[in-house]
Amino acid sequence: MVILTGKISKGTLMDQIYIPKERPLGFELGTPVVIKPVVEEEEIKPVYYNIDKLESVKVMVIQKIFSELNFADNIIITGSFLEKGFQFNDIDVILIGDKKIDSNKIETHLSKLFGLEFHIILLDYNALLKGLETDPLYQAMLSRYVAKKRLIFRFKNKINYKLLDLHLLKSKILMENFDYLTGNKKYDMTRNLIAIYLFLNNKKINNEAIDFNIKNLLKEESMNIKQNLVDKTIFLKEYKNLYKKLFEIILKGIKNGP
Amino acid sequence: MALNRKKLIDLFIGNISNAILHRILEKAVEDDVIRKYYDKEFLNSFDIAKKYREKINPVDGKPQESSEIKDRIIKKASNELKIRISKGYKNIDLRLAEPTADKFLSELKVIE
Repeated sequence: MVILTGKISKGTLMDQIYIPKERPLGFELGTPVVIKPVVEEEEIKPVYYNIDKLESVKVMVIQKIFSELNFADNIIITGSFLEKGFQFNDIDVILIGDKKIDSNKIETHLSKLFGLEFHIILLDYNALLKGLETDPLYQAMLSRYVAKKRLIFRFKNKINYKLLDLHLLKSKILMENFDYLTGNKKYDMTRNLIAIYLFLNNKKINNEAIDFNIKNLLKEESMNIKQNLVDKTIFLKEYKNLYKKLFEIILKGIKNGP
Repeated sequence: MALNRKKLIDLFIGNISNAILHRILEKAVEDDVIRKYYDKEFLNSFDIAKKYREKINPVDGKPQESSEIKDRIIKKASNELKIRISKGYKNIDLRLAEPTADKFLSELKVIE
């Protein structure tokens, strides 16, 4: 549709807007038109953290997500969507705010809009900070992100062994269901295990550190796990050993804890 | 990979026990903000268990092994809890194993 712009100018009895005599079709004399102020839409400049390059189509998707979810105080896009290529399972979106919103409805709305899977996490700043202090996977998740607004975190690791016991349960599933899990599920559980290991050793948690330690501790490339091309005997042996060690450390911590 | 009934039941028991364990351990965490936030995390095991359940016939009714399944689940979850209690983990309520199992198994139509 053709849009004409003009300026309101002062008239004697009424003010007016002048448009050129030679104008496109659809603007004939007598045609009803709508006039509305031209307000520049607020430009959102996403904040990129630890991201060197992102495909332009992904940037467009992120901009659209930000404009769709403009009710939130801040929006953080994280997870596999930010990795190179298009192998992601879903788009992880953290919505920061105090409003009570149905995350399932947002997931459904965005899925319909983009034809992609979404995983929405709703948090207030307090819960996000607590998550970062106590949850290794939160640290992993927020080691790389695109946000609507700049985020400033100041936190120290707080080891809550009971919570780590809960986190470790997520990785237990792999040992019992190895033959029936997809590569991506196996990778998620392995990533969780390694993130707990790094957290307990007070080491920085990010994708690079996780993949390095998967290779170092479990003798397997991350890509092979994702593609379900793992040497089951070697991998499971190392995985079980590490799981057992971490479980013992956690139980000892619970015993000696507050 | 095709699974026989026995294997499916074993996998179902393993995952639903894990979900029960998660639910009971959540209650032992002494932090309301965190407890509220992690409330949904047990769903991982529960969802996997649900997928196995959908392959165990009859899908819409009680399987013939239902009472054996329930006993094994309670035993497995209780054993995991007892390991923790023996290592000094406090605030674990062992009595929750059976009602939690009943709730999940009823939801998945393993018991009535």
